[in-house]
Amino acid sequence: MRSLVLLLQLFLLAPLLASPAQAAEQPVVRVGTEGTYPPFSFHDSKTGQLTGYDVDVIKAIGQKAGWRLEFVETQWDAIFPALESKRLDVIANQVAITDARKAKYGLSATYTYSRGVVVRRKGDERIKSLADIKGKTTAQSSTSSWAKVARDAGANIEAVEGVTQAAALLAEGRVDAIVNDNIAILDYLSSTGSDKVEIVGTVDDKIGEQALAFRKDDPLLAQANQAITELKADGTLRGISERYFKADVSVPDGGDVSSQRGHRSIWAIVGETAWPMFLALLKVTIPLTALSFAIGLLLALFVALARISPVRALSGLARAFISIIRGTPLLLQLFIVFYGLPQIGLKFDSFTAATIAFSLNVAGYAAEVIRSAILAVPRGQFEAAATVGLSPAQAYRRIILPQAGRIAVPPLSNTLLSLVKDTSLGSVVLLTEMFRVSQLAAAESNEFLALYSFAGLYYWLICVGLSAIQKRTEARLSRYVIA
Amino acid sequence: MTRIEVTGLYKAFGLQQVLRGVDFEAAQGTCTALLGPSGSGKTTVLRSLNTLEIPDQGVVRIEDVSVDFTTMPSRKERDRLRAQSAMVFQAHNLFPHRTVLENIIEGPVIAQKRPREEAVADAKVLLEQVGISDKLDAYPAQLSGGQQQRVGIARALALKPRVVLFDEPTSALDPELVGEVLAVIRDLAGQGWTMVIVTHEVRFAQQVADQVLFLDGGVIVERGPSAQVIGDPQEARTRQFLARILDQV
Repeated sequence: MRSLVLLLQLFLLAPLLASPAQAAEQPVVRVGTEGTYPPFSFHDSKTGQLTGYDVDVIKAIGQKAGWRLEFVETQWDAIFPALESKRLDVIANQVAITDARKAKYGLSATYTYSRGVVVRRKGDERIKSLADIKGKTTAQSSTSSWAKVARDAGANIEAVEGVTQAAALLAEGRVDAIVNDNIAILDYLSSTGSDKVEIVGTVDDKIGEQALAFRKDDPLLAQANQAITELKADGTLRGISERYFKADVSVPDGGDVSSQRGHRSIWAIVGETAWPMFLALLKVTIPLTALSFAIGLLLALFVALARISPVRALSGLARAFISIIRGTPLLLQLFIVFYGLPQIGLKFDSFTAATIAFSLNVAGYAAEVIRSAILAVPRGQFEAAATVGLSPAQAYRRIILPQAGRIAVPPLSNTLLSLVKDTSLGSVVLLTEMFRVSQLAAAESNEFLALYSFAGLYYWLICVGLSAIQKRTEARLSRYVIA
Repeated sequence: MTRIEVTGLYKAFGLQQVLRGVDFEAAQGTCTALLGPSGSGKTTVLRSLNTLEIPDQGVVRIEDVSVDFTTMPSRKERDRLRAQSAMVFQAHNLFPHRTVLENIIEGPVIAQKRPREEAVADAKVLLEQVGISDKLDAYPAQLSGGQQQRVGIARALALKPRVVLFDEPTSALDPELVGEVLAVIRDLAGQGWTMVIVTHEVRFAQQVADQVLFLDGGVIVERGPSAQVIGDPQEARTRQFLARILDQV
């Protein structure tokens, strides 16, 4: 054992000590993997790089053992023949440990444990274990072995295409439970961030183990097992697993999503959430603010002009609109657009619904600002514009509005700053804007103070930036005014 | 044909009858001065000429455009009449966000759709004429009151109107700035512009105006050549008014 450790240390130090020529003598290990099997072995949609749980695990093992890896993407059907014919040295592709394979190949220590789990709708106390699904309906792929487990436990089976569909039916309350492989469920929970369903019980006699497959008697096997032992000990394997599944599938009793929480520091949690929050800021909060403000201002201009109009019907309509918008809560307006209008056939997705509600809200407030700004332009300006021959539309566009704009910038900036922060209400119409991301992370980690303070920091920074822009805009629009 | 013809002008603001039948004519190339105490209706007459006020009754004709206000005229009719004249305001009403040059070419380029180069060339000639050719790119707020009013005059002239209307053009100015504006107006009279001017500058009216109309209570009380109305008024009310105005000086 001791000599083995020494040997390994030598292997690890070798690249540092050796000349380039010697480094080339590191054993080249050819890794067979599918590359089309997410989340274990697949190509990242953004970078195109081969990645996944198994890919990361074999990379970590290779690093420990001092191998140079060469990935060979191979179809599953051809993967064992390729190993036998020495075109591959190892298979890293969730090879399940069976007696037949044990006899034929050199299987490493287990690095993935999977087992059957029972999944329920969050908080549904009727279901706590496999026994509770008796007489209930579960969603299963009809051909999977899990369907048989559920049927044997006395459940009715609703046939579905996969985990995503099963989880959707469960969340909507159309079925009561799902019996499935924990890894599939963990992958679903981790990749969708869904908090509507949860794992409650296990199917105890159904534990599966997955390992690397080498040729029988290949000395690489011993190196791999040593590396796996070390990687388990130093937490590397758990880290990789948590990255993909938010749970540790490298130990037999892992996979309880909540059991892994609370170990991370506040800084780690905030650090992990900072980037997703920033992305949500960039992709949702800022576009939603900009779009709503632009549309809202345009609407506000028309509402303001209607309000000033001598035509009674127009000014009455504008007055009513302003009164309703300013006299009802923004939250209620959001609810009416998102949940109310579909009942009369007007259905919008979250972003569109939020944009509509926020635009109307901005229009209601900004209309009064614009109206008073227009009225603050001296009457003589209208008259002078008329006497040089401008039409009313030309007069507004060229003479009145530029001057009203200068008057309106400070109060409109207030409207904009409010809007930036009000977009956080978008979460109630299922919009995953920045605040929603922090909410999800906070619910998962219980770090409410840290995460919400961090969200506040983002909002504050944006508002500081906008205030600076306001200052410059005011200066630009006032360049003709002599102090 | 006379250039301006006003017949039977009536106007009320609410219950207050401001004009009660005003008639007058003005020949081409003449300067008509409207005098009268405040509230006499002289400014309303002037503003009626380019429809900044819409009279309740009466006919206004400038050159070949005649509008009868007895029935509400259409926008188009009013616009045609308005295009015949240009207005110089008491408070100049320059566009504060536009430079001097932009103020002057706004009407010609945007409303009259004349080529910009031509409008700019004309504007430069006009600014030369009113004596501020070095302030093309200044904003109105950077000019003195007298300069602002002279730009206002140039802006009116740039429209090439048949008639130039002045609404108390020097009343808002500091006394030492009045002279430079009056000098410009005097030059215009010499160049044959047809002008109607509401003013309190009696001496100036006497020198420059061809005819003087004295209004009181919404009617023309006395009219005639300036030398006669100001130099030898026949009506008691005219005499009282002139005495009051001239004694102040």
